[in-house]
Amino acid sequence: MSAEGIHIHTRQSQTRVENEPAALNKASGTGTNSTPNPAEPTAAGLLTLRISRFAPHTGASQSQAQRSGSPFATRRSNPFASRRSPFAARTSTNRIHGRHWTQEYSLRVHGNETILDCLLEIQRHIDPTLAFRHSCGHGICGADAVTINGTAALLCTSSVAEYAVHPTGKRGTDASGFRRTATENDDGETPQANIRTPQDGCDIPDYGIIEIKPLAGFTVLRDLIVDTDRMMNQIRSLKPYLESAGHEDHVDKRMGEEHDMVEHLQRPEELERYERLTNCISCGICEASCPVYSGGEAFVGPAALITASRFINDSRDGQSTQRLQSIQTNDGINACQSIRACSRPCPQGIDVGEEIWRLVTEANERQ
Amino acid sequence: MSEITVNDKYDAVIVGAGAAGLSAALAISHSTQFERLREQGKEPRILVLCKLQALRSHTGSAEGGIAASLGNVEHDDWHWHYYDTVKGGDWLVDQDAARILAEEAPRTVISLEHDGVAFSRTQDGHIAQRKFGGHTADFGRKPVRRAAYAADRIGHQILYALWQQCVHAGIEFAEEWYVTDLVVETGPASLGTKIKNGIANAAEDIANHAVDVTDEPGVQGIVALDTRSGTIHSIVTNNVLLATGGAGRLFHTTSNSWDLTGDGMALALKAGLQLEDIEFMQFHPTGLGHTGILLSEAARGEGGVLRNAEGEAFMERYAPEHRDLAARDVVSRSIMAEIDAGRGIPDPLDPTGPKDCVWLDMTGIDAGRMNTALPQVFETIRRYAGLDPTVQWIAVKPTAHYTMGGIPITTEGHVYRWTKGQRKEVKGLYAAGECSCVSVHGANRLGGNSLLDACLFGERAGLSIAQAVFSRKNTTESSDDERLCEANNLACERVAMKRLQDMKALLRSDTVCTPSHASSPSTTNSDAAQTDISRAEIRTGAVTASTDSTADNAGHTEREDNPYVLLQQLGTIMDEALAVRCDGDGIQSALDQIENDLAPRSEDLIAHDSGASFNQELTAIWELRNLITMAKAMLNASSSRHESRGAFHRNDFTGRDDDGFLAHSMIDQNGSISWQPVHIVDMPPKQRVY
Repeated sequence: MSAEGIHIHTRQSQTRVENEPAALNKASGTGTNSTPNPAEPTAAGLLTLRISRFAPHTGASQSQAQRSGSPFATRRSNPFASRRSPFAARTSTNRIHGRHWTQEYSLRVHGNETILDCLLEIQRHIDPTLAFRHSCGHGICGADAVTINGTAALLCTSSVAEYAVHPTGKRGTDASGFRRTATENDDGETPQANIRTPQDGCDIPDYGIIEIKPLAGFTVLRDLIVDTDRMMNQIRSLKPYLESAGHEDHVDKRMGEEHDMVEHLQRPEELERYERLTNCISCGICEASCPVYSGGEAFVGPAALITASRFINDSRDGQSTQRLQSIQTNDGINACQSIRACSRPCPQGIDVGEEIWRLVTEANERQ
Repeated sequence: MSEITVNDKYDAVIVGAGAAGLSAALAISHSTQFERLREQGKEPRILVLCKLQALRSHTGSAEGGIAASLGNVEHDDWHWHYYDTVKGGDWLVDQDAARILAEEAPRTVISLEHDGVAFSRTQDGHIAQRKFGGHTADFGRKPVRRAAYAADRIGHQILYALWQQCVHAGIEFAEEWYVTDLVVETGPASLGTKIKNGIANAAEDIANHAVDVTDEPGVQGIVALDTRSGTIHSIVTNNVLLATGGAGRLFHTTSNSWDLTGDGMALALKAGLQLEDIEFMQFHPTGLGHTGILLSEAARGEGGVLRNAEGEAFMERYAPEHRDLAARDVVSRSIMAEIDAGRGIPDPLDPTGPKDCVWLDMTGIDAGRMNTALPQVFETIRRYAGLDPTVQWIAVKPTAHYTMGGIPITTEGHVYRWTKGQRKEVKGLYAAGECSCVSVHGANRLGGNSLLDACLFGERAGLSIAQAVFSRKNTTESSDDERLCEANNLACERVAMKRLQDMKALLRSDTVCTPSHASSPSTTNSDAAQTDISRAEIRTGAVTASTDSTADNAGHTEREDNPYVLLQQLGTIMDEALAVRCDGDGIQSALDQIENDLAPRSEDLIAHDSGASFNQELTAIWELRNLITMAKAMLNASSSRHESRGAFHRNDFTGRDDDGFLAHSMIDQNGSISWQPVHIVDMPPKQRVY
């Protein structure tokens, strides 16, 4: 909390903690927020959320960009000022102009609360202007993907304990045990400096700082809200709909008379070939985790390929050959570098990298 | 902030992109009428408008199944499904509608399969089916496997398959658009309700323009906020389908997503229309303790057992025949009875808290089976309770789940007003899904019937719209059409202007400056701030700090109220007053608190940020006001029903009263209530026992 730049807001949020502890305690003990599980070390503790914020300038971004003398015009030409890869020609042209800043919020939370719980708490009791997408709250709608401590994840399936510096953890290490040697905010302060030790005589855990940023590789629209149009258009571009193979082989013969009343037959083992792929929730986490995609290179993206694979492997679909052809392009499977950064973070447990590799293999075999 | 930018025209606008809205869109697009119009070169334009992004709709959360008497795993008959639906709804079901539901269900499910839903399969490749509460064979004799399922992600599967087919059909979407107003000229029959903001004036304008529309009043269009750009739009259309989902966020403990704020129902109320049976809210018996997150009924369908603090499988006492698979209201009330008798348990995460939960014992389910049949349930428990259901019991409690009542519609999807003992249709207004009430669920919905209702009656509404668009395009002279459009345009624009003023006031930008320079007062300050930190920015690639203008901060501390706080308070009030059970005093107290405290405070709210783009607080204020409108309607309807029926239980009127209340409540926003007789066709009311 020592950085000059964040002085004002830091003070503001701290003031709230001091002045209204009752309100905060009450709020975190009610509602959708969980209370501590005695089986786990999840006592209420202090957490600081360091959140990347962005407010677009009013009016069209284009006109802002063209205005001479705008302090932001210079930023555009400076590749180091870009928060994205310097190769990201695409994103820098799409960039929306506005004000970026980071803001810290201190609140008292339990370790098994989700980060979404924390943000809702901030909206309610500290700062109602914070903007983030969220809907179902339990990991099925896919709306709330962000970057938490540098990793793409869903707000509602990420708990404080998972991401916080553990109260008993070694000082100077982060949740995964690595010690940071430099940070993006390396302007005199380090996150370690902000870890509060337990206060004298009491064992309130300190969850340290969790950093939340928008999903990498996507254009930021406001605070944690990003533009997902590119991803969705890419998914759409690969004909993401079942085109029946026809009814001769697949359809139950028992009621031949009325076509509408007959389902395709599909054995459980045929279903198993693609079932997991249907669980994709279009959250964009695989895309953000993919250095090729989030680096801004021409790549249709892992999410679109997973959707394509879902239909290629569906025994009911009659277009698998065409579908395979349509992804054998330079911005299709050929753009994948088999880095497999996309696999582990998938909230639906899809081994994205493996699936894309299978597509590559299958495409080669058919050639 | 820009002024109203677009006055677009559509042949039909669908509000909501869940199962009902998308089913309707597909039905319209695939209809023979639209195909003929395309052949004639009159390509109709339809628009699906949703306040979330597509694919985020709450339909995706449905887990268990969709009911249909396919008979894939054992013999089944749609007549049994029909009977179960009527009985499940405690005879408050309109039987003509329930008959359609049951009879058409197999076709609907197979149509979904054709759309691409990855249903679980039997060994011989047919759609697999499982048991679900209240679904029986032989008119209640024994449970039957009727719910077609896709592991426990049927809603996700249906939502995606429908959206995918919409992509195929080239349907136009407006995502993250929030509908603020329904512009409907309700006509001479209800002049009393017409005296509201610009709508009445708009009607006068129409008269002034000498356009003869008064013979058949109806929908003129909608007004919506594009949340991305922060601009208000007026959209002229003669056909609007409301498919906005339920209002579970009225309650604090709810399985519903954060967006189910009853917007469509509130729009109908504000347009002077009524809601039907809105006092009937279903509480799902197995919400995960403390969070309200749903554990699918499939957990019990697969063998999960409810136990009280003593470990007793208590459902045997309440419903000897069907035990844990009795209808949801029966199970929810049984849980509450156990809790009231002191046999509840505290949430293990809050061991000193109230004993308001019971155990769900799933340890009898084979771990392998749990993995294949209940992956979502397993994952939810692991993630949000930190427990392993194969070896540990799980604390559960009833959670607000489904809004049985809603905007009254006919079986063809037309919205109507109940007036002078008759249904009077509102021309061009349709509804489908959870926000509507065709009355197939009556006093209590059976599991598996909601997706069915949404898809089936969504499709029917779509077909009605297709017919309406077709006859309009083929019968109306284009010059007449243009004049009518002009009149509608005027009406919509008036409402839009009013909404724009409202928005400006909420954003505090009306007094500050002209719209195009809404943020200029802070520009000097923030420019300075930007310059200060620009060095740090270049070095780190991130701006480390900034503030709103100091004026903003000063205002900030003065206004502690915000919509999120009020939303939480409203939920608590509603939980206390109406969750699972209610009584006259509780209802009155809740009404007082809302009228005297929450409602005025909600009117005083102002957004804490003046930027219009993605200003979530702005939408939250409107959502909160919608919820308050809804809450009053629900409380008033509850207070008028002096009986207990289905999911509605009054401690002060514990019995069902067919003489007095075998009728649908029809309530408007002023709280005036009338009663519409239930359509009883085949099955006279009987006692409902499980």
